[in-house]
Amino acid sequence: MSSIRDRMNKLRGLSENNGPVEQTEEAVTLAPADDAEELGSSWEPLGVRLLQNDWGSFLIRRREYPLPYRHGHHQLSDLHLYASGLNAFHPGQPAISAGQILFLDLETTGLGVGTGNVPFMTGIAYVEKDSFVIEQLLIRHPAEERAMLAHLKQRVERHSYLATYNGRTFDWPVLAGRYIMNGLGRTMADPKHLDFLHPSRSIWRNTLASCRLSHVEEERLGIFRVNDLPGSEAPARYFRFLSDNDPEPLAEVFTHNELDMLALACLAVRFGLLLGGGLGTALEYPEGSEELLRTGLWLERMGMKEEAERLFDRLTNRDPSPSWCLPLAARDKKCGNWQRAVLLWQKAANSAEQSQLPVNEAHIELAMYFEHRSKDYERALHYTEHALELAMKRLSLYRNDPKRRSEVDAIRKRMERLRRKAGRYHA
Amino acid sequence: MNRLTGKAENLEEWLGILRKQPEIMENVTHWHTIPPRESQTAELPADLHPKLAEALRAKGIHALFTHQRDAYRAVRNGDHIVAVTPTASGKTMCYNLPVLQTVLEEDSSRALYMFPTKALAQDQVAELQQLADLMEADIKTHTYDGDTPPNVRQAIRNAGHIVVTNPDMLHSAILPHHTKWVKLFENIRYIVIDELHAYRGVFGSHVANVIRRLKRICRFYGSNPQFICASATIDNPGEHAERLVGEPVRVVDNNGAPMGEKHFVFYNPPVVNRQLGIRRSSVLETKNLASMLLKQGVQTIVFARSRVRVELLLTYLQDLVRKDVGPQTIRGYRGGYLPKLRREIERGLRSGEIRGVVSTNALELGIDIGQLQACVLNGYPGTVASTWQQSGRAGRRQGSSVTFMVASSNPLDQYIIQNPEFFFNRPPERALINPDNLLILIDHIKCAAYELPFEENETFGSEPLRDMLEFLVEEKVLHHVKGRWFWMDQSFPAHNISLRSAAQENFIIIDMTSGSRVLGEVDQFSAPTLIHEEAIYIHEGVQYQVEKLDFPEKKAYVREVDVDYFTDASMAVELKVLHVDKELQTGDIVRQYGEVTVNAKPTIFKKLRLRTHENIGSGPIHLPEAELHTSAYWFTFSEEAAARMGTNDMQFALLGIANVLVHIAPVYLMCDPMDIRVYPQVKAVHTQRPTIYFYDRYPGGIGLSERLFTVHDELLERAKDWIRTCGCISGCPACVGPIEEVGLMGKTHALELLQEGEGRS
Repeated sequence: MSSIRDRMNKLRGLSENNGPVEQTEEAVTLAPADDAEELGSSWEPLGVRLLQNDWGSFLIRRREYPLPYRHGHHQLSDLHLYASGLNAFHPGQPAISAGQILFLDLETTGLGVGTGNVPFMTGIAYVEKDSFVIEQLLIRHPAEERAMLAHLKQRVERHSYLATYNGRTFDWPVLAGRYIMNGLGRTMADPKHLDFLHPSRSIWRNTLASCRLSHVEEERLGIFRVNDLPGSEAPARYFRFLSDNDPEPLAEVFTHNELDMLALACLAVRFGLLLGGGLGTALEYPEGSEELLRTGLWLERMGMKEEAERLFDRLTNRDPSPSWCLPLAARDKKCGNWQRAVLLWQKAANSAEQSQLPVNEAHIELAMYFEHRSKDYERALHYTEHALELAMKRLSLYRNDPKRRSEVDAIRKRMERLRRKAGRYHA
Repeated sequence: MNRLTGKAENLEEWLGILRKQPEIMENVTHWHTIPPRESQTAELPADLHPKLAEALRAKGIHALFTHQRDAYRAVRNGDHIVAVTPTASGKTMCYNLPVLQTVLEEDSSRALYMFPTKALAQDQVAELQQLADLMEADIKTHTYDGDTPPNVRQAIRNAGHIVVTNPDMLHSAILPHHTKWVKLFENIRYIVIDELHAYRGVFGSHVANVIRRLKRICRFYGSNPQFICASATIDNPGEHAERLVGEPVRVVDNNGAPMGEKHFVFYNPPVVNRQLGIRRSSVLETKNLASMLLKQGVQTIVFARSRVRVELLLTYLQDLVRKDVGPQTIRGYRGGYLPKLRREIERGLRSGEIRGVVSTNALELGIDIGQLQACVLNGYPGTVASTWQQSGRAGRRQGSSVTFMVASSNPLDQYIIQNPEFFFNRPPERALINPDNLLILIDHIKCAAYELPFEENETFGSEPLRDMLEFLVEEKVLHHVKGRWFWMDQSFPAHNISLRSAAQENFIIIDMTSGSRVLGEVDQFSAPTLIHEEAIYIHEGVQYQVEKLDFPEKKAYVREVDVDYFTDASMAVELKVLHVDKELQTGDIVRQYGEVTVNAKPTIFKKLRLRTHENIGSGPIHLPEAELHTSAYWFTFSEEAAARMGTNDMQFALLGIANVLVHIAPVYLMCDPMDIRVYPQVKAVHTQRPTIYFYDRYPGGIGLSERLFTVHDELLERAKDWIRTCGCISGCPACVGPIEEVGLMGKTHALELLQEGEGRS
C-alpha cells in the first residue's frame, strides 16, 4: 500500500480497514505494442484487425451490408432514393447524394465535451458502391488515439456531410478537441452537419416518451433491438477491458454502436423522405394529429412551405382538438392567415366549452381578433364573457391560485373596455 | 452649524463639535489623525501608445502616480509583479496600462483577468470598456462567468482580447475545456490577479493549484504569460504572490496616490459593571455613532463581524433614522443576499441614493461602491489588514474622512483598543497558504490529468508526482501507458471539487411563509449552529424560525416569526493525537505540532433575549457527528503544576487561558476567526497533562497551527500581559471570560499557571 494511500485515507476520515480494497492479483499492464505485433487470439471473436499508419496502430472492425438490406421499415438502398431531400438542411448546396454522407457515432469514456472525455470507439459508416460500410475504430489505450484520429480525418475529408444524432453539440466538438489535444490540426473545418436529433425533437417531442435514438427507432422506425447494451454502460465495459485486457466485454459495445449506425442511416432515409414530399405515398400519414402538426411545422421551418401546407390542410379535415388547433392557429396568426386561424379558434372554442377542464385560450384569441382586427365589439364581448365563464370554472377547481386570479382580472378588464367600445354604457 | 437643521457644514466641523462632547470623548481611548498625503507623480511613459495617452488625458489623467509608473516599467521589463497599495490608490491602472499597451501594439495579444468574485469582474469590464471607447480601439473585454449567456460564450472564446473571470470558472469551465480556448491560450501575454490577499487559507491553496494547472495549459499551447498581481496591504505580499503563482515576483509598493486627512477614532464602550467587567454593548454604541453620522447626512458604512450582527444593526438603524432619511436608504449587505439585490445596493451606494450600509466583510473587497465619508467598525475586524481595508472604504483623495472602531468586550478587541500603538505600528498579518496540502493537491492532479495527460518527467507541487499518479492509477481514475498518465473515468473531476470550502455545497434556506421562495444560503460549517431546527435565522432584519433542516439534501425550511430572542448553539468536541512532527520546550511548557483527529457534534442551543442577552431557554440539536483529520499545535503544563492545582481550578485556569489565546491568535494569522479552533483539556489522553490544543479547521491543515507553534513564546507572553493589565477584578469577558464561566479565581489561576510555566527552566 502506498504511503499516499495511507495519508489520503486518513484525510478522508477512513480508517485503514474500511478503505478501498486493494487488488491482490498483480495488476496486468498492457503488453507493449511491437512494430510487428500480432493480435492475440482473444480478439478473434470480435472480428477486428490491426491497422497501422504513420502515427501508430489501433483496431478496426469493418462490416459491409448489401444495400438492399432492410432494417425496420426502411431499406438501406432508400438512401439513394431520398438523400437529395436532405438538401433542405443546407439550402443552396448542390444536390446531396448518398455517397457524400459520413455517418458518425462515438462511444466515449464520459459525458460532456471536456478535454478528459475520450472517444474510445468511433463508429463511422458510408455508402460505397453497392454496400453500406461500417468501420468501427477502437483504441486499446489512449496512446493509440492519434493513429485513430489520423485515419478518421481521411474519412471525414472524403465526405461532404456528417450525419449524427446530436453530433453538432457532442460528437463533433469532442473530436475537434481530440485533434487539438493530439496536435493534429487546430483548424479542422466544421463539417456540414446533418444532425438528426433536432428534427426528431421537433416532430416527436410531445408524442414519444423520450427522443433517445433507441426509443425513436423502436417507436417509429420499426427496429427492435434484442439484448442491446445500454449506451451508458459502454464506458464501464471499456474500463474493465483496460484493467484486465480481456476484450470480450467489448463485443456488445461493438454491436450497440453498429446498431446505432444502422439507425442513423434509417433516420437519413426517413427525414429525406419527409423533406422530399413522400408522406402519404412512400409512408403513411402519422395517426396522431399532434405528430402530423409537428411534422408540418418542422417542414415549414426547413423551407418546405408547400409540403407543410399540404399536411395542415389534411389536418383540418380531422376531428378538431385544441391540442393541435391552437398551435396551428398560432402559426396562422403569425403569418397572417387569419381566415383559417379564426376557423381553428372557433373549433377549439367549441370543444373547450364541452370540456370538463376547459382552456379559454381560443376564446381570448377570438376576443382579441374581433376587438382589434375586425372591430366587431359585440362578438369580441361574446367571447370574452365565455372566456370569463370558463376561467371561473377553472378557478373553482384551483382555489386561490394567484396566477389564475390575475388572469381573471385581465379578462374583467377586457370586458369593461369592450362594453365601453360597444357602447353598452350610456351616460 | 445650521441652526434650523442641527447639521454641521461639513465633516470637519462636525468632528470639532464631537470633540467637545465629554459623554463621547470619555470613551475615546485614542484619536489618531493621519495627515493628508500629497501625490507623487511621474510623467506618462514616453513609449505609451499615443491612443492610450490620449484616452488618459481625456479622462483628466496627465501624469501617473509613482507606483503606477513603476508597475508599468517592471511589466514592460518582463517581470512578474505584485502591486501593493491601499484602497482607492488607482491600483487597477497598474495592470490595465501595460495590458492595453500590449493589445494596442499587437492585436492578437490576449490577457486573462481573475477576480475573487463575479461582482468585481463586472466593475472591471465597465472600466476597461470606457478606456477602449475613449481610444476608439476595438478592444473586446468580456466577463466570462456563470452569468454569461451561452450564445455569446463562443464569441468571447474566439475574439475576446481581455477575458475577465473568477477562479471557480477557470477551474470548472475554462481549463477543462481548453481546446475551445485555443486563441486565448496561444496568445496569452498576461494573467492579472487582483485582490491577491483574498486568496489565502483553503481557498488560496486551491487557487494556487488552479494557477499551476493554468500554467500547464499555457505551456501546452506554447505560451508563457507574465503575472501582474495586486494586493491590499499584507505583511508578505511578495512571498504570498510567489507561492501563489510559483514564479519570482517583484513587489511594487511606492504608493504615490494622494489621500485626504483621515481620522481614526478608537471607541471603547463604558464599563457598566466593574465587578464583572461588563461593558455596554458594542452593538448599541455602534448604532449610536452610526445614527449620529447618518443624521448629519454623512454617507456611512458600518461593518459588523457576523451576519446576525449585520441584521441586528440594520434593524436598529432603520428604526432609528426612519423619519430622517427613510428606511430604504439604509441597507444591509452580506453573503447570502442574492446577487441581484447586491448589485442594486452597490448602485445605490455609488449614486448616493443609499446613505448608509451595514455590511459583513463582503464589502471589504474592491467592489465599486464609490468612496464614502465615514466608517464605523462594530468590533475589531480580526486582522490589521482587514481593518485597513474596511476603513479604506471611507476616505477620499480630497477632504476628510473618519473611521470609528467600537470595541466589543472580547479580549482581542480590548487588547487592540487599549494598545493603539500595537495596531498602528504593527505590520499587517501574513497571508498563509498551503498549496501542497495533500487533499487539495490530489484533487487538482485529478483535474490536471483530465485536462492533459501527465508526462513522465513533469512536476506538480512539492510532493513526488509519480507516487501521487500511481495512487490515482490504483484508485482507477488514471491509466498509465507508454510513459503517460491519462484520465480514464466517467466523472468530470472539477465538478466535485469546490475551491471555496466554506461555499462548498451551501445549505439553501427556503422561506415557507407564503408559498416557498429561496431566502439565502449558509455554508456547511455554519449550518449546524446557525440553521439547526428551532434556530432563529435573521435575514434583512426579519426573524425566521427553522422548522425543518434536511441535512442530507442541504435545505432548511423556515417560517417568518416575531419573537424577542435569538439562538446560540454549542458543540461537543473530542480530539485525538495521531502523530507528533515537532517538539520544543520553553520553561516547563512543552509544545508540539502534529496530526490530530477531531470529532465534533452540536449538542444544545440556548435562547437569548434580544438586547439583554439573558438566557430564557434551551433545547437539543440532533445532527450527525463530523470527523476532521487536520494539523494541530498544543502545549502542556508540567505534572507538578497539575498536582498543585486541583482539577477544578485547573479546568478554570485552562479555560481562561484558552479564552484569551483564541482571541489573540488571529493577530498572528490572516484567517477567518472560525478557521482556527482551540480546545483545552485538564488531563489530555495524549500527554496525560493539562493541555491546550489549537487545530486548523480544514482537513489536512492549511498552516495556521504550524505558524502558532512558531510564535508560541510571543503568544503566551502577550496572553500574560493581557490578563495582568486587564482592569477587571476576577475575570471578565474581555480577558479570561466572565466569572460565571471561569469561576471567581479563574483570572488568578490562569495567570499563576502561565507565570509558573515560564518560571523554571
